[in-house]
Amino acid sequence: MELTKNITLGVYLPGETSIHRLDPRTKIIAAAILITLLLFIKSYQPYGLFMLFTIAVIIASGIPISYALCGLKPMLPVLVLMWFFQLFLYSAPEAEVIVSWWIFSATDAGLHMGNLITLRVFFLFTIITILTLTTSIVSLTDGLESLLKPLRMIGIPSQELVMTMIIALRFVLILAEELDKIIKAQMARGVAFDRGNFIQKTRNLFPVFLPLFINAFKRAEELIVAMEARSYTGGKGRTKMKTLHMGRVDRSAGVVIMLFTGLIVYIILSVNPQI
Amino acid sequence: MNLSVRKIVISGILGAITILLGVTRLGFIPMPTLAGSATIMHIPAILGGILEGPVVGLFTGAIFGLFSMYQPVPPFFADPLVSILPRLFIGVVSYLVYFSTKKINNVLACILAGAFGSITNTVLVLGMATWRGYLPPEVSISIGFLHGIPELIVAAVLTVILVKGIQRIRSTKA
Repeated sequence: MELTKNITLGVYLPGETSIHRLDPRTKIIAAAILITLLLFIKSYQPYGLFMLFTIAVIIASGIPISYALCGLKPMLPVLVLMWFFQLFLYSAPEAEVIVSWWIFSATDAGLHMGNLITLRVFFLFTIITILTLTTSIVSLTDGLESLLKPLRMIGIPSQELVMTMIIALRFVLILAEELDKIIKAQMARGVAFDRGNFIQKTRNLFPVFLPLFINAFKRAEELIVAMEARSYTGGKGRTKMKTLHMGRVDRSAGVVIMLFTGLIVYIILSVNPQI
Repeated sequence: MNLSVRKIVISGILGAITILLGVTRLGFIPMPTLAGSATIMHIPAILGGILEGPVVGLFTGAIFGLFSMYQPVPPFFADPLVSILPRLFIGVVSYLVYFSTKKINNVLACILAGAFGSITNTVLVLGMATWRGYLPPEVSISIGFLHGIPELIVAAVLTVILVKGIQRIRSTKA
């Protein structure tokens, strides 16, 4: 049972394309705008445009389309199930029944809802995948830190939150090593991790979790002393060794996103004027 | 608001455990249902709330949420309203339950805090998924029972064991 071998945090594909070179802040904001847009799309036409845009971004980022979609493969059964759930269980007044079987009946409203929800989830997933494939986890954290900085003014300790995330990311690998040792030690004592039913497997977790958490808390105490000894006083007034810069590529990306948003909003409004 | 170094570090380490449980798949107990597995990834957030207060619980929950949005399994976790927002409350609820029942009995308080933290996760995540339209209410309720109850039991038991263990270490050191 080699749990901790080959831990990869994230799926970043290094590259030199313009999408890769974008400032992480631009990418985070763009992803946020696209996600927000998705929440308002209730018809098929905007999704067509969205599809074209997503494909264009994938091509521009130099990720093979098959690679970008291969993460979706394990999700496919869930997506299909979600579609069926909507098809058979969505109830709307005055819906026209298409197929009826036993106690289930599929309505046209259910079909429409199923398609929309599945498309929305599909695009949400694709956007997050493109973001994580083209941005390393370190620059994502940097971008998040800089974007959350203004929240300090309303009393939210944003930099502390980012510091927390940095500590978490740094410690994952250290704790992974420790977890490996613990698992081996417990296996030597005769705990069979890969055997047994649901309850036995859950019970086998206890002799792993207790030492893991206690060791983690011991390390935390050491780190607290170390950081206090070096007079760490939180995020206020801290500067960074590498600062982020927005360049020409970010400005053009901003224009593209704005144009795309405008177009989508225009289509949404012209298809469903009541929204 | 200024956070102590202690709170930052402990949230960070608990966040690291959350991520570790996620990437090693140790935090998932395979179950034959739609979502695929029951999770115990919310336990660090519960512990953070009990041992260090609501802010640590909230931060650990935030890391849990960000991580599940970063690797969205099932796919509707790509929606931050489903993946991040509900997770912020896990640690806070655990803290409130623990501190309101601590005077009666420490073990009982741990059990209740673990159970309520787990319920918060189940109900809010599924509630959000239903409200956002990803799951019909019937399906959410059945997942809630199928996953929620084993998660609740495991969370309650693990919380007692871990909190007692860590409190014992701390009392011997002090």
